[in-house]
Amino acid sequence: MDTSREDVGILIRSAFLKRDTKQRFSLFVLVILAITLVFIETIDTKPLNYFRSLVKDSIYRGSEIISYPAKSLDDSLKFFKEHFTLYKNYKLVKQENENLKNKIFETDYLVMENNQLRRLIDDQVASYSNLVSSRVMLDKQSPYLNSFIINSGANKEIKKGLAVLDGKNFIGRIVDVNFFSSRVLLVTDLNSKIPVVIEKSGHHAILSGQGSKNPTLEFLPENHKVQENDKVYTSGKGGIFTSGIPIGKVVFKDRQARVNLYSDISQITYVNIKLEDVIQKK
Amino acid sequence: MAYLYKQIKTKFFEYIPLFLLFFVALNGNSVIDFKILSINVHYILIYFWVLRKPQALGYGLIFLSGIITDVVFGLPMGISSLALLTIAATATYVRVVTVRISLANDWISFIPALLLANFVYFISLYLSNYSIDYLYLFKNSVFTFIFYPIFWGMFTLLLNLMKN
Repeated sequence: MDTSREDVGILIRSAFLKRDTKQRFSLFVLVILAITLVFIETIDTKPLNYFRSLVKDSIYRGSEIISYPAKSLDDSLKFFKEHFTLYKNYKLVKQENENLKNKIFETDYLVMENNQLRRLIDDQVASYSNLVSSRVMLDKQSPYLNSFIINSGANKEIKKGLAVLDGKNFIGRIVDVNFFSSRVLLVTDLNSKIPVVIEKSGHHAILSGQGSKNPTLEFLPENHKVQENDKVYTSGKGGIFTSGIPIGKVVFKDRQARVNLYSDISQITYVNIKLEDVIQKK
Repeated sequence: MAYLYKQIKTKFFEYIPLFLLFFVALNGNSVIDFKILSINVHYILIYFWVLRKPQALGYGLIFLSGIITDVVFGLPMGISSLALLTIAATATYVRVVTVRISLANDWISFIPALLLANFVYFISLYLSNYSIDYLYLFKNSVFTFIFYPIFWGMFTLLLNLMKN
C-alpha cells in the first residue's frame, strides 16, 4: 500500500514539477502564475490598468490581423449571395419604396401638427447628443460574453458605462476601456441589466440579457398591462443612461415578456457612443 | 539538397500544432459553435499534443495562448490559462502512467481532463462574478468529448507526417 502511494507521489511530482528537456517552465509554476494573474485582475490601480490596456490593445490588433482572411472570405460569400438574390431584393425594395412614399405624406402632416402642439404647450426642448462613431474591430462571441471590440478608447474620451447605439437604437454599454479600443457589452449578454420603460403602459422594468437574441423583461409589476409590440426605451433610472433611447418591441415567448431588438446585433459594423447629453431649453 | 528539403518539411510539420494553438486563440475559435454543436478545439489540441508529442507545445506557450483567449473573449486574464494548464497537467499525468497508446485510452482519459478543466473554469468564473450558462457548458463538454476521435485522427495523421 505504501509502495503504491509512493509511486503515485513520484508520478505526480514527475508530471507537474519536473521540466522536460524542451520545456522552459514547469506546470506548477505556470499554474501559480495563472492563479496570481486572476487575483491581480481584481486589483484596480493606475499602473496595472495601463499595463492591461497595453496588453489588450496589442492582442486586439493581432487578432484583427489574424482574423482578416476569414473575415474577407465571409465578406466575399456575402457578396456573392447578395448578387444571386439581387432581382428578388429589387422587387421587395420597389414595393417598400412605394409604401414609404405613401407614408411620407402622412408623416409630413404629423410633423407639422407636432410642431404646432409643442409651440402651444410652450415646452420646446431640443436635445442634441455628443456622439462618437466607431468601427467594430472584433466580433468574437464567446460562450460567456456577448460583446465586441470597437476601435475607440480613452483617446476619444470614452468611459465605462456609456451607452452604445446602432444608428439611434440602444444596443449595449461600454464595459472596458483601453487606450485605442473598448469592449461593448451587448444587451443580449447574461451579465447585462438595463433599466427600461415600456411605452403605452409606462411600466418600468429591467431588461435582462439571456445569451439569446431576445432579452427578457424582468421585475414587471404584477397584473401589468404590457402587450405585444409595445415599445421599449431606456428609462434613465439610476442615472446610467439618458431616457428615451429606443431599444425594441415587446414579444411574448413561452409566456415570458421578451424584447425584439430594433437592431440586428450580428450585423453591426459601425456604432455610435453617446458621450454625454447636452439638454438645452429654448 | 534532399536532406535540406526533408529538414524544412519536418520543421514545417513540427510548427503546425504551435501555429494552430495561436491561430485558434487569436482568431477566437477556441469554441466552435455550429447550430447545436459546440466544440472546444483548444482543449482537444492541447490534450492531444501534450499527450503525444509534448515537445510540440511548450507549457509557457499554452499559458500565453490562454491569456490571448481571455483577452479576445473579454474574460479576466488567467482564467483560460488555468483551464488549459489543467488539461495539459492531466495529459502529462496520463502520459506518465500510460504504456500503450490507443484511441480508446486517450478518449477515456480525456473525460477527467475535461471535467477538471471545466471545474477550474466554473470556479474561476464564479469567483470573478460572471454569469454562467451551465447548460451551454454541459453541451460543450459533451460535444468536445464526442468529437475527440475525429480530431485524434487528423492529428495522428499530422504526427505520422512529422515522423516520415
